Amino acid sequence: MIALNQISKSFGRHQVLENISLTVNTGEVVVILGPSGSGKTTLLRCVNYLEKPGSGEIAVGDFKVNCAQARRSDILQLRRKTAMVFQQYNLFRHKTALENVMEALLVVKKISFAEARKRSVALLEKVGLGAKLDEYPSRLSGGQQQRVGIARALALEPEVILFDEPTSALDPELVGEVLEVIRSIAREGITMIVVTHEMGFARDVANRVVFMDGGVIVEEGTPDDVFQRPKEERTKQFLRRITPEANYTI
Amino acid sequence: MGAPFDISYVFSFLPKLLDTLGVTLMIVAGSLLNGILAGFLVALPRMYKIPVLRTLAGIYLSFFRGTPILIQLFLFYYGLPEILKLVGLDLTRAPVMFFVILTYGLHTGAYAAEMIRASVAAVDRGQVEAAYAAGMTPYQAFSRIVLPQALAIAVPVFSNLVIALLKDTSLAFTLGVMEMTGKAQTLGTLTQHFIETYLALALIYLAISFTLEKLLVVAERHLTRHEIRESRSNSLFRLKKRGSLRTVMADIDIGKGGIR
Repeated sequence: MIALNQISKSFGRHQVLENISLTVNTGEVVVILGPSGSGKTTLLRCVNYLEKPGSGEIAVGDFKVNCAQARRSDILQLRRKTAMVFQQYNLFRHKTALENVMEALLVVKKISFAEARKRSVALLEKVGLGAKLDEYPSRLSGGQQQRVGIARALALEPEVILFDEPTSALDPELVGEVLEVIRSIAREGITMIVVTHEMGFARDVANRVVFMDGGVIVEEGTPDDVFQRPKEERTKQFLRRITPEANYTI
Repeated sequence: MGAPFDISYVFSFLPKLLDTLGVTLMIVAGSLLNGILAGFLVALPRMYKIPVLRTLAGIYLSFFRGTPILIQLFLFYYGLPEILKLVGLDLTRAPVMFFVILTYGLHTGAYAAEMIRASVAAVDRGQVEAAYAAGMTPYQAFSRIVLPQALAIAVPVFSNLVIALLKDTSLAFTLGVMEMTGKAQTLGTLTQHFIETYLALALIYLAISFTLEKLLVVAERHLTRHEIRESRSNSLFRLKKRGSLRTVMADIDIGKGGIR
């Protein structure tokens, strides 16, 4: 279980997150939606301390950090319980697909080479890249790179995987293959927090949808509730802008 | 000037000059070692923006990049012992080589510092975040992710640096060091065949520069094997075709590693 309690964060004078509390149960898929600048990516990056929250409390599993007095070892431990999939993939460019997945297993988890290799090969096969083990990222398409990124996150066996707009940098025809992989791991019951603009994906994968605007959570609920029967005016506005009217008359 | 030109002298001078090649290479190697060490010491406070040290590093860079190496040699050789005498250190008996390697080392350090800073900055920040997100320590992220890629980026600049240093060592003769240029002066004076000695000298410098450059290209190819490369046939005519950051950076710098 992941519990964020009263997380606040500001860049200089600009307050990006205001007392955000969010609980994600084990096996749950939570999708965060919101206009750009609403703080959703910042919130996600606070969970593994890539952004340092100003105040609040983060609990992952049985490990709890008070952000005001987090020590280096706390941050390291927090990061070792989470994994992240980035918008720009951020693969290690000097390592092959296989080495990318193995890296943290060898360096962070200190697993034997043979075992790390076995696990990594299995994961890459799972994301459909069994034939690309020894390719460098520069030779892979965006969709393939992102699937390596997902395998790399899975390898850590984290309590939660954080997806930061995993398909935003992809060509439209490559989005499907990545979403399909995320969908299949969601079905396995891996806890996920996903920031995305893919409404269709949010609708059929999310257990819960969180709508953020202006650094606060405006509304949260099941996909049906939020998409079909939004309560807040801001949510309605956002959904109107982002989902085109279905019944055109041409 | 001197005796009439005779090509056979060029060939007879070659082995005599090569006798002193060791001295030249020793200056190059010693200075590189010092220079890279100094470069790291100077680059770190600039990369991590450490208040006072950063300013000092800036002054160091301005001095060594903004004054001629010849003047630096004189200042260190004649000036340093005088200053150290004041604090009771007697350097007047130290070998010339000590001053030569010290000066060239510090000079190279200034360019090496900028090379290191630019190369590390060129590795994209996202990969460091990915390393942190996977639970690596800052040291692990630097040594396993940033350093190998920064090294590859640094190679072309480093190549220029080494070749510039090699050529600069020819000024060490002004302090009386018998390296290749010093030896050439002596041979010229003895035989009056100046043009031939300098021709032989130029050939040797050219040969070494060429070899070093080729070696470093091989090193670069090895270090950048993860990047897409054009096919072999194209690479023969490789003239600034790759628009990668690395080649652009190597092209910008005039003479040696200076990227501002």
